[in-house]
Amino acid sequence: MTIEEGAKFVAAAYAIILAVLVIYYFMSARRVNALKRDMELLEQEVQRRPPAAGESGD
Amino acid sequence: MKKLVSAPALFAAAGVLLVTGLLLAFLYSPMDASTMGYSQKIFYYHAPIAETALLAFGISFVAAILYLRSQNDKWDRLGVVSIRLGLVFSILVMATGMIWGKAAWGTWWDWEPRLTTFLLVCFLYTAYFVLRSVVDEEQRRATFAAVFAIIAFIDVPITFFATRFLPAGMHPTVITSSGTGMPGSMFVSFFISMIGMTLLLVALIRRDLGIEELRDRVADLKHSIGG
Repeated sequence: MTIEEGAKFVAAAYAIILAVLVIYYFMSARRVNALKRDMELLEQEVQRRPPAAGESGD
Repeated sequence: MKKLVSAPALFAAAGVLLVTGLLLAFLYSPMDASTMGYSQKIFYYHAPIAETALLAFGISFVAAILYLRSQNDKWDRLGVVSIRLGLVFSILVMATGMIWGKAAWGTWWDWEPRLTTFLLVCFLYTAYFVLRSVVDEEQRRATFAAVFAIIAFIDVPITFFATRFLPAGMHPTVITSSGTGMPGSMFVSFFISMIGMTLLLVALIRRDLGIEELRDRVADLKHSIGG
């Protein structure tokens, strides 16, 4: 096998590694952002709601 | 919250080591003199990714035992995260292994011991998530998953030692009890990549644990307001 032929296989392997790791990293980053947004909205909802009967309200 | 979901120092350290390992692999380490030739350069990430995948499954094994002993949810979360990352790394091992196999052996796949047992590892840990998806009650799901993770781990040492005890296959054994089987100029690139990949796993586990904790908090809040 020539160096040029070998280089194609090597490039393909490293491209797959890079692509999978980058995609995983950015997917988890998107997930973090979505969860933080949900958390903020839910906390706002909890503060907005009047205290239920029997709760002290403080 | 930012501290909970990010591990920038670990990611940075992993990145520096992985780039250094890669540069050394291409600029410093010599080309393999055997039939593999230039395609042997795949080894410098392929082997560390494989070891890291097995390490992730090892972590899930320990987490499963700790969960069964304590019933503490944090061990269940660690199990989920480490198995998910182990699977991501396993997919990379299979993909890069197939490319290397085609280059070195002329075939994409061979049913030899290392490849077959590694494929079985992938199937077993995929089944872990199928199991989790069919059990609704949280504590039962975590218990079943922990038991399954312990059973699935049986295949991990079999995979690791497959090339040592079943030498009939084509997959080479590089590191043995008698040495590394490669010159120092190759080993240094491999070793740096290995440390970098391990640090990357630790950073991803930390980050994903933060995500799982956040997800649980969101679920609790939804539950508390009747969502």
